[in-house]
Amino acid sequence: MDGGKFFGAFRASSGITDAVVLNHVPVGCNWGAGMFKSFSNQSDIRNACTVMHEREIVFGGEESLREALIRADRLYDAPLILVVAGDVPCIIGDDIEAVIGSVSLKKDVIWMEAAGFRGSMRSGYEDALINLVPVMEQCDQAANSVNFIGFCPDDFKVEADLREIKRLMMDSGVAVNSVISNCSYEELKMAPAAELNVVIGQGTELAKQMKDKFGIPYIEVGYPYGLRGSRDLIDAVSDHMGLGRDLDREIDLQPFEKIYLYLNDIYGTPTSVVGDFHAKSMAEFLCRELGFEIEVLSTLDDDYNFEEEVKNSNSAILFGTSFEQDLAKEMRIPLVRFSYPIFDQVWIYDDAPYAGLRGAVCLTETILNTVMGFEDKLSDLELRA
Amino acid sequence: MQISLEMRDTPLDDTDELREIFRDHTLTGIFQTATWQYHRYCINCKLSGSVYAASEIEGAVPIIHGPSGCAFHQRLTPMRLYAPVYKLPCTNLDENDVIYGGESKLRDKVLEVYRRYKPSLILLLPTCVSGLIGDDISGISQDLKAQLPCSIIPIASEGFAHRSRESLDGLMQESAKSWKTSRAPDYEIRGCGQEEVMVSLVEQLMEEQDVVDKQVNIESFGRFRYGSQVDLREIKRIFNEIGIGINTTLLNCTVDDIKRAPAAELNIITRNRKAGKLMNTKFGTGYFRKWASHYGLDGIEKFFVEVGSKLGLEGEAEEIIQREKRQAMEELERYRKTFSKFEFAVSAQGFFFTPYIASIYARDLRLPLKYFCVSTQLLRSMNTSEKTIKMMIDNMQDVFDDWDFGFETVVNPSLDEMAEMAKGVDYLLSDRITPLIYGNRMMDVSAVSHLLFRTSFSGIVEFSRYLARNLHNGISEPSGDLILSKFHYDQLNYPIIEDPRCSASREMWSDMWSLGSAGGD
Repeated sequence: MDGGKFFGAFRASSGITDAVVLNHVPVGCNWGAGMFKSFSNQSDIRNACTVMHEREIVFGGEESLREALIRADRLYDAPLILVVAGDVPCIIGDDIEAVIGSVSLKKDVIWMEAAGFRGSMRSGYEDALINLVPVMEQCDQAANSVNFIGFCPDDFKVEADLREIKRLMMDSGVAVNSVISNCSYEELKMAPAAELNVVIGQGTELAKQMKDKFGIPYIEVGYPYGLRGSRDLIDAVSDHMGLGRDLDREIDLQPFEKIYLYLNDIYGTPTSVVGDFHAKSMAEFLCRELGFEIEVLSTLDDDYNFEEEVKNSNSAILFGTSFEQDLAKEMRIPLVRFSYPIFDQVWIYDDAPYAGLRGAVCLTETILNTVMGFEDKLSDLELRA
Repeated sequence: MQISLEMRDTPLDDTDELREIFRDHTLTGIFQTATWQYHRYCINCKLSGSVYAASEIEGAVPIIHGPSGCAFHQRLTPMRLYAPVYKLPCTNLDENDVIYGGESKLRDKVLEVYRRYKPSLILLLPTCVSGLIGDDISGISQDLKAQLPCSIIPIASEGFAHRSRESLDGLMQESAKSWKTSRAPDYEIRGCGQEEVMVSLVEQLMEEQDVVDKQVNIESFGRFRYGSQVDLREIKRIFNEIGIGINTTLLNCTVDDIKRAPAAELNIITRNRKAGKLMNTKFGTGYFRKWASHYGLDGIEKFFVEVGSKLGLEGEAEEIIQREKRQAMEELERYRKTFSKFEFAVSAQGFFFTPYIASIYARDLRLPLKYFCVSTQLLRSMNTSEKTIKMMIDNMQDVFDDWDFGFETVVNPSLDEMAEMAKGVDYLLSDRITPLIYGNRMMDVSAVSHLLFRTSFSGIVEFSRYLARNLHNGISEPSGDLILSKFHYDQLNYPIIEDPRCSASREMWSDMWSLGSAGGD
């Protein structure tokens, strides 16, 4: 099920880590988007809403927005207010731009229309990023530097993955300029200093606009899961910059050797993978590097109902979001969570990534532990006995 | 929705009971503080209350009539973050539907849901979008009822029609008045989604029945909560002894059970008064409101005797309940002797039940109480006005004076004051209104204090047993090494961490809720 345009816009906006996200919505939308984000960081609450009530439906929500802007400007120590307008103001026709223009504020304000009914979570993300282009500044280019585009602050293991990706880049002689959207307002403004935009999964429209406006080329790569995924990322960036780095020589197989017999046993495991754009890269890792058979792959881009296909498959492990727990339970198979939304696991250790070379080890460890510790396997055997 | 948890029919022994409480506290309670904390920044959608209520009904499937984003996040309804409503069909309204209407999508979705799940009941839950574009949801449900062998009911669950701050303020004031009269407040406020489901079921699903004497319905949300199920089982056991039968437990029941609800002579309601009154008007079913005054030894007795009285079983109820109470008192007497050796301070959240909790500690457990600490944090987090909070505190103190409790009431103690109080007593029983105080004899009772909110004597006895055992064995004091104690907390809004972003968001919510709710009921 898709989270809709509002969720995508909220996630992209809240990725500007020192900005306030002011949702022009009734209470429930603000609760939902904020609650889902809070699973990633309970002490980073920077969102507020205009509390649209029946009164606003009748008389319009412009006054509430005006009041909220004045308060947000006063209360928050933040350089930027991002106004995300949801379904209700878009239907009743609030003139948001006029409201913003009518108040004198110390902070910068960017707004976007993000009615949930007007698109997917992905489209909300893309549109929100495009809205940020006007604040980007033409600046001197830093040699051998890249921006990464496609991240959200509430992606599973995002901080750990970025740390690993940055390490891989640094070892290749490449500096990471900005991560969009998981950076400060200042870093966002300085994004045009990068030599190259690397789009991972989403954010292509932003990369295109940055190419047009600032002349920054871009490449699109998969999420760097696994040894091969890591190499693909490094190769793509190195090739573009003419750096040349043979990652294969640096791969440490020792951790895998410790469990090579288990790897032998899970080879050929039929598996289904569901999630956002991460799913395709995950499936590639599982297939290419662990030898899993991918039975069903769903990237949730449309209303595709994957559940029946998964149920009708031979899948013995399911990779997905927290919302797949029920399906996994019904099929009596383990679930490995890796894609947004994840609300029944935490990810607080920033040295345990799923991405990159180190991520390949952590991910393999997680998969094996999930399989070996799966509580239902013995009861299943008892049932058959 | 279709998930049914098996209730354990066999009684639990003491060890089982406590183990189950801690198990439940650990496995499902893990989300509790996060949920409450997030309530200090905003409130959830009315739709989520309706989804939660629908999820209690076995054989019912709710359909969200709105954009996919509504269903996406409502699957995680705050009442049960530990058990998402995984299957939540949605009409996925898009821009086309906003312009031309979403009625055909709703029709198609209802037919699809019926084909797929064969439910006994489909609940149609409109969202802000379908509410604004004016889809004729009632008309569609009428049309489809003729085509499908299941009930189809629309629920008023549009998110923008939530309750207002003023209405909550009024409810709190009425609650404070009720402490003095022991009569449940009769103050109507707009529902938060659950009540809308209840009312719609009364209006559209329940059927005229031959009334069965001495049968009651019990309002009991909590299919997914251990504590609710145990409480319900105890009430049923005592009712059974009195000669009162349970017709059904609303909404923790099947669709057919709801249809047959009017067969009961009496409804025992807690929060959904509108539905109770409506059943009374429509079917003549009597209603009795269970309220905070029905906690504690005397309150529990009162509850069973009053219900018995309503059903002409006053004598039987008195006999049974006196026996039960006597047994409980005998057990309690043993623990009271242990308690009498110590001096205590107690901290509790300031809310509907606070005077009655004080009464349980002081009268039922006979705890030598030196201090009773009350926090108004929760009230403030719900933006209760200062005037109302003052009235609540004043009324509470009046009640304490009338009841002749000798303890000192301390309102909103600071962490230092709590520490000082703890030094002046043997034990501080804490419901976690402030950060954990280490180096003192603080006993965290937050996991087991809900035993005191049960409508049976066994909860109070069980709590006493737990407390006595801890006093006997000694407790491990919260240590200064606790990671939890290394954070700085917002002094007014524990457990919000001290962080300017969090504080600003909290203040934003407070301001905007006050401002935005002025048009509510």
